[in-house]
Amino acid sequence: MVRTGTRRDHDPGPAPEALRLVKVTKSYGTADSSVTALDGVTLGLERGTFTAVMGPSGSGKSTLLQCAAGLDRPDSGIVRVDGTELTGGSETELTKFRRGRIGFVFQQYNLLETLTVAQNTVLPLRLAGRRVDRKRVREILTAVGLGDRLGHRPDQLSGGQRQRVAIARALVTEPRVIFADEPTGALDTRSAREVLTLLQQAVRVHGRTVVMVTHDPVAASWADSVLFLADGRLAGRLDAPTADAVAERLAHLGDIVTAGV
Amino acid sequence: MFVLALRSVRRRPGRFLATLLSAFLGAAIVMTFQSLHDTAGRPGVDTVSSETLRMSAGVVGGYGTLLVFFAVASTLTVNVRQRSAELELLRCSGATPAQLRWMVVGEAVVVSLAGAALAVPAAGAGGRLLLEVFRDSGQVARSVDHAFGVVGLLSGFGVTLAASAGAAFLAVRRVTRGRRRHGGARSFLAWAALVCGAVSVCSTFALSGTDEMLMAPAAYGAILLSVGLAARAPRLLKGVLDGPVPGGASGWLAVRNLRQRAGDLAGILMSLILFTAVSTATLTMQAVESDAVAASGLVKSVDAKNLETLNFTVVGIIVVFVCVMLVNALYAATTYRVREFGQQRLAGATPGQVLRVVGTEALVLTVVGVLFGTLAALAGIVPFAVVRGDEVLPGQVFGVWAAVASTGAAVTLGTSLATARRVLRVPAVRAVAPAA
Repeated sequence: MVRTGTRRDHDPGPAPEALRLVKVTKSYGTADSSVTALDGVTLGLERGTFTAVMGPSGSGKSTLLQCAAGLDRPDSGIVRVDGTELTGGSETELTKFRRGRIGFVFQQYNLLETLTVAQNTVLPLRLAGRRVDRKRVREILTAVGLGDRLGHRPDQLSGGQRQRVAIARALVTEPRVIFADEPTGALDTRSAREVLTLLQQAVRVHGRTVVMVTHDPVAASWADSVLFLADGRLAGRLDAPTADAVAERLAHLGDIVTAGV
Repeated sequence: MFVLALRSVRRRPGRFLATLLSAFLGAAIVMTFQSLHDTAGRPGVDTVSSETLRMSAGVVGGYGTLLVFFAVASTLTVNVRQRSAELELLRCSGATPAQLRWMVVGEAVVVSLAGAALAVPAAGAGGRLLLEVFRDSGQVARSVDHAFGVVGLLSGFGVTLAASAGAAFLAVRRVTRGRRRHGGARSFLAWAALVCGAVSVCSTFALSGTDEMLMAPAAYGAILLSVGLAARAPRLLKGVLDGPVPGGASGWLAVRNLRQRAGDLAGILMSLILFTAVSTATLTMQAVESDAVAASGLVKSVDAKNLETLNFTVVGIIVVFVCVMLVNALYAATTYRVREFGQQRLAGATPGQVLRVVGTEALVLTVVGVLFGTLAALAGIVPFAVVRGDEVLPGQVFGVWAAVASTGAAVTLGTSLATARRVLRVPAVRAVAPAA
């Protein structure tokens, strides 16, 4: 998998380009009933940027995120995260790579019900066999506003609080890239704003790169730029987006694709 | 609702396999032994033969009924729990709790009827074989022929149907009513079983070494003690987990999982404790008894031989049933965790680490189950050995224990790991996706 042969021991430091996709194609199903989810997507994201990926249902945005994050394998094309190519390799190798460089935030939080807030947060460190610094964990959880809930279990928290634990868990390994799949999809507007603020801080304050899939124009307006996806292809880009501009663009996404732009 | 039940069985036969297997095994065993009543009832059977036959039928028949009930109940509870989403959907579509109950009971009845029907030929062959064994050992006269009649057939169907319907009724009630605390009654029963077991074991000392009945109080005591310990299983598990924990991230996660899920794992632990205690105690005592008789140069009486046959049969039945229950419960418990495994992998666990977590959990369960089962068994074996042969720990116990413990470990670890491997084939992202 790791063709450049980089290991965490002699990590050359963050690459200038956090994510690079070249002609990535992915289809699902068997030959006669095959659905093309990604159709030759090429894109590059610089380090320290906050990018939203938008598109209607079935446009392939979740597939894009999963292929980019090494959770799914593209049929063809190249995926490079933090300068390292992800193609090939066993699941174990991919997992080891992911837990060193990538953090995840999901719509359904995906916290382990049997663990407390603090235990959930340090889980990636423990799995990677890294040292657990209790003080730092407390700091991170305090930063997301959960410093007083270390011993709670996920089922004792609200949706917004759970998502903040998930963000703390994604930040604790100090990953290069954080992938967020509809992080505000199950939240009320206030919790959503808190979550988006935290993601934005991760970029502005800590220099992480965040890629967020969403279908909510308001959420997308928090990003530095928005990439539009339709029928598995890139369909434009909007920098310094506002919610209205994003919604406007989204409403006419079908026209652009059929016009062949 | 009954039509719905029939359709649900026909559309998804795989889900009912475990229930069908328990019903089939149960019906086969009950019919095999109850058909001895038919055989004993034939004209021209002498009193010694008929007494042997009726006693075996009575003892194993009782055991069998209980085991069918427990096995079907455990498989059905798992089945109903797995389908809670489907049942919830039906409830939202306007099915009353009574209708749901009848649907599940109806399914159980259909499946157990099929199981019992399949068991008829097996029980016919089994009964003939059993009679052969009795005739060869001289417990039953050569002239007695096997008969498979009304008693065998009726009791087989009756016991299986009643046990399945009852078990289904309880299973669906438990699920539709949600979890309720019934700690008080349970802990009272546990203590009662422990006290009765202790009394029974101690009463062994009141008997003399050559007493025919010597094995009974020790064996029953051991079984009662194991039932008592089994009922306290979640508490015991938590107690053990407070001790030193295995190292590494997998061990850490395994211990936390076990601590949270101790209540759900009680069934698995219970099966393991009962399995270890009953088989170790019975087989060791039988071995001690046989060796003692052989050493004294006496020939075994018909009663002694009956007891030996019964002991082996009972252990055989228990082993088979507990294995079915263990495999089913572990399989279900592990399949149910597909989402949890997906979450662990997304948090950075490699497939190997997830397997190690599952393996560690299974190992802890095995050790705890075998440990407490062995304690209960020893509580019965030691008094028996002291009175029978003036030794505290008979040498036979080691071989028996090793065989029993390795069977328990193989079943627990094997099922958990094989199921987890299968579950891990689902990609992590799809495993955590909400059920479509």
